[in-house]
Amino acid sequence: MSAAVGALAGAACGVLSGWGIGGGSLLLIYMSFAARMEQGAAQGINLIYFIPTSATSLVFHFKNGLVDRRCALLAALAGAPLAAAAAFAATALHPDALRRIFGAYLIWSALRLLGKKNK
Amino acid sequence: MEMNGRRKLRCLLAGAAAGILNGFFGGGGGMVLVPMLENLCGVEEKRAFATSVAVMLPVCVVSAAIYALRIGIDLRAALPYLAGGLAGGFLGGVTFRRVPASLLRYVFAALMIYGGVRALL
Repeated sequence: MSAAVGALAGAACGVLSGWGIGGGSLLLIYMSFAARMEQGAAQGINLIYFIPTSATSLVFHFKNGLVDRRCALLAALAGAPLAAAAAFAATALHPDALRRIFGAYLIWSALRLLGKKNK
Repeated sequence: MEMNGRRKLRCLLAGAAAGILNGFFGGGGGMVLVPMLENLCGVEEKRAFATSVAVMLPVCVVSAAIYALRIGIDLRAALPYLAGGLAGGFLGGVTFRRVPASLLRYVFAALMIYGGVRALL
């Protein structure tokens, strides 16, 4: 997969990440299924990718007063240590097992969404 | 919005759920966090999208550090995505206020369906 295609995929997902709409998940799907990266490697790159992408868009979100600061602080305080523990668990798994769990997670997400739409 | 004890707990819970998923799957925390911020924490839809970005940034920094220490991260392979992501993130931030909330919801829904279908194939 060429670097140019990767950059294009990164840009498209960056716009969605900036909007807070799961652009990172889409990039992860792209890297896992299209670029055929090992699941753990793709996940590591996806995490690194989100940092500058979200930082640039976050500047605008703060400037526009769109961030609920207190809620964000509390959620981040709870989320960060648990994310570290979960990352530790994920990196202890075999890549194939991690990929299968990731696939199941995607299916669950889609079914959950379909359930909501049928209400 | 007023921050009473119950709402504090809900914000902590939303962050915890998003952190676990994002750390384990290396992404996807925002997809869970946005609806939780809306339905559980009472954050208005558009603010929920922006607030989720603010939560996921530190969560991703911590998770990335663990991945880098445990299995390593190929920064050379990440470079094209990072370059594109910087431009896209800037564009996303600039255009965010001009995008109607309903469109955000549809794009969000389409992404989740796409991911599910790809996993099934």
